[in-house]
Amino acid sequence: MKKLWFVLVIASLLLAACGGGAKPAAGQGPVEITFTMWGAPEELAVWQAVVDDFHKVNPNIAVKVDVSDWDSYWTKLNTLIAGGTPPDVFAMDAPLFLDWQSRGALLNLQPYIDANPGFLDGIYPQTLTAYKTADGYYGLPRDFQTIVLFYNKDMFDESGVPYPNEDWTYDDLTAAALMLTRDKDNDGKVDQYGFWSDTWDMELLWSEAIWAYGGEIISADHTKTLIGEGGARDAWAFIDNLYKEGVMPTPTAAGEFGLDLFQSGMAAMTTIGHWAVPGYVQSGINFDVAPMPKGPAGRATSVNSAGFVIAKDSKHPDAAFEFIKFALGETGQTKLAQLGFAIPVLKSVAEGDAYLKQPGELNQKVFLDSLAFARMKPVFKGYEEWAGVVGDGLIPVFDGEAELNAALDEIIVAADEVLAKNK
Amino acid sequence: MDYGLKPLGREKLWLWLMLTPTLIGLTFGAIGSLLATLGLSLFNWDLINPPQWAGAENYIQLFQNKDYIEAFANTLKFSTLYVPGVVVISLLLAVLLNRKIRGVGFFRTVYFLPTVTSAVATALVWNMIYGKETGILNFALEALGFAPVCWLCTDNAMMSVVIVNVWGAVGEGMIIFLAGLTAIPRDYYEAASLDGANDFQRFFRVTLPLVTPSVFFQTLIAAINAFQAYDYIYMLTRRGQGDSSVPVAVYSIYRNAFHFFRMGDASAQAIQLALLVAVFMAIMFWWERRYVVYE
Amino acid sequence: MSKPIYKTILDVVAYAFLIFGALTMLLPFLWMISVSLRVPAEQFSRNIVPNPLTFQNYFDLFRDLPDDAFFYLTFNSFKLSILTVFGQVLTCAMAAFVFAIVKFKGRDFLFALLVATLMIPPQVSLIPNFIIFKYLGWIGTQLPLIVPAFWGGAFGTFLLRQYFLTIPRDLVDAARMDGASLFDIFWRIYLPLSKPAVAALSIFVFKDAWNDLLHPLVYLPTNMHKTTLTVGLAFFQQQLQMGGKFTVLMAGAFLSILPLLIIFFIAQKQFIEGIALSGVKR
Repeated sequence: MKKLWFVLVIASLLLAACGGGAKPAAGQGPVEITFTMWGAPEELAVWQAVVDDFHKVNPNIAVKVDVSDWDSYWTKLNTLIAGGTPPDVFAMDAPLFLDWQSRGALLNLQPYIDANPGFLDGIYPQTLTAYKTADGYYGLPRDFQTIVLFYNKDMFDESGVPYPNEDWTYDDLTAAALMLTRDKDNDGKVDQYGFWSDTWDMELLWSEAIWAYGGEIISADHTKTLIGEGGARDAWAFIDNLYKEGVMPTPTAAGEFGLDLFQSGMAAMTTIGHWAVPGYVQSGINFDVAPMPKGPAGRATSVNSAGFVIAKDSKHPDAAFEFIKFALGETGQTKLAQLGFAIPVLKSVAEGDAYLKQPGELNQKVFLDSLAFARMKPVFKGYEEWAGVVGDGLIPVFDGEAELNAALDEIIVAADEVLAKNK
Repeated sequence: MDYGLKPLGREKLWLWLMLTPTLIGLTFGAIGSLLATLGLSLFNWDLINPPQWAGAENYIQLFQNKDYIEAFANTLKFSTLYVPGVVVISLLLAVLLNRKIRGVGFFRTVYFLPTVTSAVATALVWNMIYGKETGILNFALEALGFAPVCWLCTDNAMMSVVIVNVWGAVGEGMIIFLAGLTAIPRDYYEAASLDGANDFQRFFRVTLPLVTPSVFFQTLIAAINAFQAYDYIYMLTRRGQGDSSVPVAVYSIYRNAFHFFRMGDASAQAIQLALLVAVFMAIMFWWERRYVVYE
Repeated sequence: MSKPIYKTILDVVAYAFLIFGALTMLLPFLWMISVSLRVPAEQFSRNIVPNPLTFQNYFDLFRDLPDDAFFYLTFNSFKLSILTVFGQVLTCAMAAFVFAIVKFKGRDFLFALLVATLMIPPQVSLIPNFIIFKYLGWIGTQLPLIVPAFWGGAFGTFLLRQYFLTIPRDLVDAARMDGASLFDIFWRIYLPLSKPAVAALSIFVFKDAWNDLLHPLVYLPTNMHKTTLTVGLAFFQQQLQMGGKFTVLMAGAFLSILPLLIIFFIAQKQFIEGIALSGVKR
């Protein structure tokens, strides 16, 4: 009797598995396209809503949305593409765009753009350049991110430090961070850091600082790494000093408190983009934002975008483009703005109530106004490998185990090798 | 090896029938992993365009690739610490827990617990335990009057990572050894006792020789696991948004294949790693032929 | 016969070792549970007893999860894991028996080839295997996760072969004299005698299938109704780590291993205590 029961369970599970394998017969009529992206659970819900709206307008096109977390996304995407079953539309991070475009994975969207005159007119031009190549656009931005200075109002009030303002320099930031770094319970351990930011990738702090100190990151022809020349060394000295003064926890120490110390309430200031806002709100942080501080060469921030691309081997490129068009239109962009993770690329939505009048007291305009002095996050072939060489090479410096200038010299040689390899 | 019985008549049919599923899997596995990897290692493939013939180029480049050499050295270092650690501790546990002692069920259960969890879940908690400022390990050290240790800093990370991996693996080893110990016929011990052997002598003369098939298996599996160890290491030594401070070979393979689009390099690295395992395996099989006692 | 003094000392040392080891084994679990029951402000406290104690973290974890998602995810995980155990135990045991007991041409070569497939890391064989499954038309179904479980495997075959090799051979000779077929010997003698090894293999296979992140991710749509609990929870945990919300993170971690723990405790008598304290009789 016992055995029979066991056999029945196995048999029914097997049947269920085979049933799952049945596919609806392919035929004419409605087409189905797949759209994959990285993102958070909330984003899945919003994109499902966008897709449903799209389906109402285009009843013949069904869109299947597939959302994974960042790491999983790239593994899955690579496997799907290498296996010859690419998703029709997928999300792209602007710095990685050239790695994908140059391998011929993406469809040239120029013919579609030409067929829709005026389609790009309402979109911020700064966000478009990343996806433009000699023979036209191979992708389109979905939303963009500028980096600004976030500050915890409660911590500033408690220490009696005035809030950051538009005239702040990087020296002011260091001075304020010193005052905000505190050992509240006098146990000899810091329990509130003045500042924290990620210094592995360039986007959150070091590209902005290098530009503001008059340096450059990479040569225009993408053959030379310039992070050790001219003002760039001063920018590194500024960052190194934050670590040395102890106003910012070392990368290894920071790992103890989660990946974002501003959100875990351990740091009074950070530099980050709009994607962090929902998390900060949810964590109950009382914060506002100010533009990035000025350096000797003026003010700079970084602008980066997430975009849409269509797989070159997509079986339904027309339907796929229809979907992108819809997502970049008023309806799609408005939904995106309400999601609160990013800034819409469509001017009319970004400068309208949907974006500017989001719930809460946050000064949304700062993100938008930062575009005036923003520079595009560099896009070049081999970006990820290059970023790994630089980011990993700097960690021993910031952990206090290596000397800054010697490490930089070594990093630059290795980084140039990567550029040569990815030519 | 010349053990085994000769199949007679209809037994031949049974032999192949029972092997059929494995033969299907083997065909698939041999093609899907061994041959494909070997083949891909001779090409440059960016996962999209048709592969380009590269010959031995990917292998030659291995010796110039500083990142891979570092990763490979880390893997070797990790393995030399991990494999003996797992085999010795789990054998010791199995022997201690194969006796009629109080609480044997409780101890077996507790030691096996890490085996039924996922690295993803437990790596998170180990990260907290190892914390320099807030971790309980340093709290204990400080309470005992020692200076706190930075467990996950470059100097100590390897040791800390080995400890977690051994922690996660001794339960599995213990169970394999326990199963092996049960197969030792009782009369062997009785005979040894009659000869006046004490506990130690019985262990070295009866237990150890007869448990060698399990030792052989466990050592080989531990070595394969060590060469492919990745999840705990990555999750414990990832710093900020950056990459691992203790890069290992599999991490390098993964990065080359899925992030740098160099499937050829990744495959060559995998083959090189497999060759190392194969050499180790050959030594083990030689050892098996010489020393492993089968009934 | 009184106990020699060295035996008593040995027992004390053994107990001390076992107790210290057991605490090391348990600490991460106790810590995980403890943190998951704390309020966020207490997350870095070194006090293992949560004060105050709260279940809020578990509710927070489910806030974003659709109502029925947890049910589907758990069901998928169970289904795939149970089928994998069944397929692996059956097919690996048959092959292991043949490799251990029967002498035939090419045996050692086949066995070496089988073990060799273990040596390629799954990160590399993923793409070739994916392409093969694509030609079979199985992408997007559960078949690439189920069918391979039914065609044997190196780990299971190897483990059981090593065990079968230790079973006294005279049992086979006797059965053969009585005219038992090869399968009879396997089914009636070897399998029943190998309960400890089969039990061990079952739980290893179950755990690996349950925790597998890579294969369900690639072969199944990432959809809260179609994928597994491990993939689903990984998706929900990603942003928690950003904010250093270790309390919720630990709740998620505990929840992801809870089903495994429950199964383990239910089966524990069979698996752990079932392994006899003394050797086989013959």
